[in-house]
Amino acid sequence: MDAINVAVIVKLEPDFSEGNVSYNPDGTLNRAETKNILGPHSAIAVNAAFYAKVKHGARISIGTMGPPVAESMLQYSQLISDADELYLYSDRIFAGADTLATAEVLKSGILKMQGKMDIVFSGHRASDGETGQTGPQTAWKLGMTFLGNVIDYEIDPESRTIRAKRLVRLQGIYDVVEEVEAPLPVFIAIDPSYKPKFNTVSQRLAYEKYQKEARHRAQDFKQYFKLFNAAQIEADPKLIGISGSPTIVYKVERIPKGKATRQAEIIDGSDQEQIRKIVAKMRQSLSTMVIK
Amino acid sequence: MTEGDYRHVYIIIEHEEGKILQVSLEMIGEARRMLDDFNKKYSSKEKVVAVLLGHNIKDISGVLIQHGADAVICSDHPELRYVRNTIYTKTIFQIATDREIAAKIEPEYAIQFKRPRYMFFAADSIGRHLSSTVLAHLESGLASDINKLVVGDLQITHQNKTGGKPMTYEKTLEMYRPDFSGFLWTTILCLDNKNPAMQKDYHPQSCSIIPGVFEIIKPDPSRKGMIIEHVPKFDAQDLRVRIIDRKIIKSEIDFDSRKTIVSFGRGIKDSPEQNIKMIEELASELDAQIGITLPLSKKPFSVSQATDSSYLIPDRVIGISGRKVSPKVYIAIGISGAMQHISGMRDSEFIVAINPDENAPIKDECDVFIKGRMEDVVPIMIEEIRKQKQVVQA
Repeated sequence: MDAINVAVIVKLEPDFSEGNVSYNPDGTLNRAETKNILGPHSAIAVNAAFYAKVKHGARISIGTMGPPVAESMLQYSQLISDADELYLYSDRIFAGADTLATAEVLKSGILKMQGKMDIVFSGHRASDGETGQTGPQTAWKLGMTFLGNVIDYEIDPESRTIRAKRLVRLQGIYDVVEEVEAPLPVFIAIDPSYKPKFNTVSQRLAYEKYQKEARHRAQDFKQYFKLFNAAQIEADPKLIGISGSPTIVYKVERIPKGKATRQAEIIDGSDQEQIRKIVAKMRQSLSTMVIK
Repeated sequence: MTEGDYRHVYIIIEHEEGKILQVSLEMIGEARRMLDDFNKKYSSKEKVVAVLLGHNIKDISGVLIQHGADAVICSDHPELRYVRNTIYTKTIFQIATDREIAAKIEPEYAIQFKRPRYMFFAADSIGRHLSSTVLAHLESGLASDINKLVVGDLQITHQNKTGGKPMTYEKTLEMYRPDFSGFLWTTILCLDNKNPAMQKDYHPQSCSIIPGVFEIIKPDPSRKGMIIEHVPKFDAQDLRVRIIDRKIIKSEIDFDSRKTIVSFGRGIKDSPEQNIKMIEELASELDAQIGITLPLSKKPFSVSQATDSSYLIPDRVIGISGRKVSPKVYIAIGISGAMQHISGMRDSEFIVAINPDENAPIKDECDVFIKGRMEDVVPIMIEEIRKQKQVVQA
C-alpha cells in the first residue's frame, strides 16, 4: 500500500488580532503597520492535513505563493503539522496576480512537489481578500475533483477513496450536511468549522510523536524548505502575474455614507431615567406580538 | 472582437429540489433593470438568460420568466439533481459556449456568438465555488461578493491591458465589492488584453452577487419567455463523486425564532472577557440570541477558550458575510456600523445602539442611540429590565 501524499496551499495574511492589527483613522486596514501571519483559514487546512498524518502517516507538503518573508509562515506551518516539505513560490513576476493567475502559479508549484498528490487542501477563503476562488480554481487547473465546504473527512487507504461531509448553506431554505464519496485524488477546500478528532489511544500516541518531531524539524526548517521562482516551476509567463490576470482593480473608494435610514433619538448613557424609558419601549415592542 | 461575439447576461440559478433560492430571483431582477438601460443606451436587444440545472425542474422555468428572464436554458438530467462541482461546471461551460442555444435566443448572431457577455452567480456555498471553477474553465475573470453593478464605456490606460496607451472599453461591467472592513469599495473590471503584444479576450465578465442586496421584480404572470432545453454530456470520469447522504440541519445559532438579538463588535476591546459576560447577562434577561460583527469572527481578542468557541465564531456573524436577521428588537453594542454589518440587520423593527462615538455610522441606522461606554450603559440596562419585570410580576 502506497503512502498517502497530501499537499496544503496556504497564504500569508494580515494578523487581525487586537494589538497586532492596525486600522487607519477612517476604519480601513493599515497594511504597513499590521503584522502578517499564517491566515486562520490556511491554519485550518494545515490541521486537516496533519489529521491525515496522524491517522495514516501521510506525507505533507506545504506550498505558498508570496514574498520571501513568507518563509517564517512556512516554518510555523511545519511546527503545527510536521510537514515533510515546504515550498515557497516567489518571483516578482507573480506580483499583481488575480485569483486565476495565482491559481496558475499554485498549480505549477504543486506539480513540482515531490510525489503525486492524493489530496490537496486549501483554506475556505483568505481573511483579507476573502474571494475564496483560489482553491477551486487551482483544483480545476490540476484537473482534480473539487470538494468544498468540507467539515469532516476520512480516507480509506486500501480502496484509495475518501468520504467527506460538506456543509452547504442554502440561504432562506435550510442548511444541508451532504456526505460524499470519491476516489482519490481530490482537492478539498476545508470549512472554517472543521475540527480534527483524535479518538483512539494509538492516534493520540501518533499525535504526540509527530508533534515532537515537528518541533525538531521546525527548528531546522531550512532543511525542508525549497524556494522556487517562475522558471523553476515552469509557469507559463502568459498565464501568471499581471499578464495572466483577466481582472484589474479599477478603483478603491470609501463607501459613501448612505442616507440616514432612521432618525435616532439620542440618549445620554449615564441618564438612568432615559434608559428606563428605552427599556420600557423595548419591552413594548416585544409584547405587541403576544397580544392576540 | 465584433458585435455579436459576446451577448447577453447568463445567470446561474440555484434551487433546492425545485425551490428557488431568493438570491437567484434577485439576480434576475438586477439583470433585468441593468439590461433594460443597456438596450436603450446601445439600441440593442440583449437578453436576460437564466441557466437552470437539475432534475424535474421544468416547472420552475415559468417562475423565472415571470420574474424577468427572457429565456431559460434548462438542463434536466437525473445526475444533475444535486450540485456536484465537476458535472455542474462542465454543463455550464457547455451551455455558455453553445452556439445552437445562442441561435435560438437570437438568430441574427448565430454565427458570431462565442460566449455570454456577462455572467452572474450567487455568492453563497454553491455559487462561490461553482463560479470559480466555471471561470477557470472559461479562462476569464471573476469578481466575488458584489453589491453594486454599473455598465459603462471606460477610458483605460493600463501597462498590460492597453500597453500603456489610453483605450476605450465599451459596455464594461463595473463590479463593486465591499472589503472585509465594510468601509471600502473596490471596483473590479474584467478586461480584454488589447495590448498588441499579448492580445486576449476575457469574456464573460463575471461575478458572484451577495444575497439580499438586489430587489426582486414583482412577478408578472403575463410575461413571455423562451424555454430552451439542453442535453448535458458527461463521461464516467465526471461522475466520480457519489452523494451518499443528505441531512437537513438547523444552524446551532438560531436567530429566526428569537424576538431580540443582542450583537457586539470591536467596542468590547477594553475588557473583552468581562464585556462578553455582561452582554451574555443582558441577552439572558431579554431571552435574546447573541450576534457578532465579521471582524470578531477573525478572533482579534484573547479570551478564554470557552468564550472564544461559543461567541467568536462565524456562525454568529450578522451581515453580508453572515446571516440576515430581522428581529423585533436589535441591540447593537460597540458596533460602529460598517455596511458589512448594517445590511444584515437593517430590517429589524426597533434598533438600539450603544456607542460612545456619536459620529459612528450606526447612529443613522438606529431608532435610539445611547451615547456612552458599554461598561457603563449595559449594567443600567440590565438593572432596569429586572426592575420592570418585577413590576409586571407584582
